[in-house]
This record gives sequence, structure tokens and C-alpha cells, in this order.
Amino acid sequence: MTVAAVVPAAGAGARMGRPKLLIEFDGRPLIARVVATLADAGVAPVVVVAPPPDVPEGPPIAAAARQAGATVVVPAARPAAMRDSIELGVRELDRRDAPPVAVLIVPADSPRLDAAVVRRLIAAWRERPDRIVAPTFAGRRGHPVVLPWRPALAIADLPPDVGVNRLLADRADEVEEVVVSTDSVLTDLDAPDDPGAAGGWTIRLFAVARERAGRSEVSVALPSPATVGGLRRALAEQHPALATLAASVRVAVDDEYADDARPLPAGARLALIPPVSGG
Amino acid sequence: MVEITESPLDHAALVERVRHANAGAVCAFLGTVREMTGERRTVHLEYEAYAEMAAGKLAELEAEARRRWPVIEIAIAHRVGTLELGDVSVAIAVSCPHRGDSFEACRWLIDTLKEEAPIWKRERWADGREEWIHPGLEGR
Repeated sequence: MTVAAVVPAAGAGARMGRPKLLIEFDGRPLIARVVATLADAGVAPVVVVAPPPDVPEGPPIAAAARQAGATVVVPAARPAAMRDSIELGVRELDRRDAPPVAVLIVPADSPRLDAAVVRRLIAAWRERPDRIVAPTFAGRRGHPVVLPWRPALAIADLPPDVGVNRLLADRADEVEEVVVSTDSVLTDLDAPDDPGAAGGWTIRLFAVARERAGRSEVSVALPSPATVGGLRRALAEQHPALATLAASVRVAVDDEYADDARPLPAGARLALIPPVSGG
Repeated sequence: MVEITESPLDHAALVERVRHANAGAVCAFLGTVREMTGERRTVHLEYEAYAEMAAGKLAELEAEARRRWPVIEIAIAHRVGTLELGDVSVAIAVSCPHRGDSFEACRWLIDTLKEEAPIWKRERWADGREEWIHPGLEGR
């Protein structure tokens, strides 16, 4: 009785001029990391809905996903929205002799997807298999979501202009929330790409910074060559709620504190570190 | 050994971990959740960490302490999530051949952890207010 996953990867944006899903995390393309993490958590099959073959990033994303063990669906044309990609993935599963008992819906752009969280969500769903299971962090609902097979099939019946969040809203009384201790679950499936995402940088936020921004990460566009100092100025301009903090608190680049002159390597992990108070 | 964990800290096990036949001294420090800060009463604390970086920082602290003192074993654990009054938020244990070094190393480890590790606490006060604690950032 397997739990499957659908990973909509047909429309993800670019970062630093490269398709996000091909940027390397832990030495492999992001899409491959997502597929491997799901496999590690016992999810099978993992269906990746790739971009169409005639866009430049299509074939490499499909190849990376396939090599990581995914079943890849290649649509003839780019799906209009993420929800359409998910529908294609569910249809692929429905074609099989034995459809899955449940489906995880996993945004492809999930660099921090955690196998332990996935296992926990599946365990929660197995306790109450009639429920939709969604993780929450700090009171906000995140991803991935576990859909029992029947509601997964109902995605196809949603009106054309709404996203999968509507399904969860319509079935609010069937949703079981699982509180997790990591904000890695907070990426928004239905949100359009961040305005800064093209040629942009993602900065993780903690404590008061997360509270002021109202989210656990923000994107900024940076002039090149990108430095920590430039990042501070861009944050203040593009996210005014963070202006005071951006000017005064420490910045971490690849998990190390960095001074303003430090250049930012492509794909660097960035974080704003307000004064710490552990201990 | 360093660890960031949601689970309650087993400080006795942490001390056992560093006890060693070559050590003549084991020093342990526990940080615990205090009820009163001046006139203000705490209901509980919530700790948040940038876990990947915090674990890396704690490992760096361990390495640096080993450079500075003749340390035999070190164990550092920090808890995250919601902690009640009296709960242990951080535990550090150090074994050395002699007590002077183990006291100094333990003191340096907790002092430096409090300055460097990307971990934050949020106070839930008895008057219902909640706030992140960011030393030096008050009012900005």
C-alpha cells in the first residue's frame, strides 16, 4: 500500500540566470535531491511533471529526475499553472493497475525538503487514512500535503482558474494539521514566483526577522558582483519591513557569519541572523 | 559531540558521556528556564535555531576548546521548541585531566555559545505578551 508523490516541476523559475531546479544542492541538481529525499522517506513512485521538451531546461530536468529514480511525465506544452501539472501527475498514477493509497504533493522548488518530516506526515496520515494531512509551522500551513487518493482525483474537477489550496479550503473539515518544528515546510504552492526570483537570491529569516517579514524567507534581486553589503541595501529597498534589521544584524553566507565585503557565491545559502539569545 | 534537539535533554547521560579514565575532572553546565526576570514572570520559553548553522557553530566551539585546553571529551546539547519553567535548555559537559582546565573550558563554551550560536528564545510573559529576545536590538 504505497504512498506516491507528484512533483510539479514544469514551470519553476530561474535563479542567477539558471533554472532553479538544476542548481546544485549537496552536489546534485535540486530536482534530483527532492526525488531522492522522497525515495529515502519510502515514497514510491515519485512522479515528476517536467517542462515540455522544447524549452531549454526541459530535457536536463527530466533527465536529472529520471536518473534519481522518478517516473517522469513530459507534457507537450507547458501547463498553464502548477495545479495543471499536479493534475497531469495524478492522471499518470491513475493509469496504473494499482493506484496509490495516497499522494504527496511536493513543490519541486523545495531545497530543504526533509525525509524525516515526510515520514512523519505519512505516519500521521496512516493513523487516519481518510484525512488530508498538512504540516504547519508557527501557525502557518506548509508543504508537502498528503492527499488520500480520492481527493487527489478530485483535483481534476476543480474550476480551471483555482489552485490546489482551494481543494484544502473546500475540505477544511477533512484536514489534519501536523505541527513540525522546522520552517522548511513553508513554501507556497499556489504563490506566483517571487518578483526577485529571476536573477534573485533567497534569504532565510529567523525570530524577529521572520516575524517582521511575515514569512520564513524572502527573495531579492541583486546587482552583480553580489556582496553582503549589496544584499543589505537590496533587502532594505525591496523589503522595507526588514530595513532596520538588514542594516544592523549579522548576515550568514553558507552558514558562516560574513562581513559586508564578502562576495556571494552562486547558490549560496543566505540568512539574516538577528542578535542571538540561546543558552 | 554536539546536538540540537527537540527532545528533553538527558544531562546525566551527557555527563556520563564525557567521564573518562584519563580525566580527573568533569565540569557540567546546565542552562534552565527561569521564572522571574526582575519583576516579570515567564510562563514558558520557545527556542528556535537555524539548525544547520547552529550545529556547525557548536562543532566549531568544540574544536576551538580542544585547541585551547587539554580536553578529553566534550558534549554540548541545545534544546529547541517550547520549554517549561525549570526545563534544561542547554547542557555542556567537559572532561579534562585537571579541574582548572575543565572549569575554564566549560565557562568559555557557554559564554561563546551565547554569543555565536544562531539560536533565539521567545519569552511568553505572564501578562500575555510575547517577544523575541534580541540583545542590543531593543527598540530598533
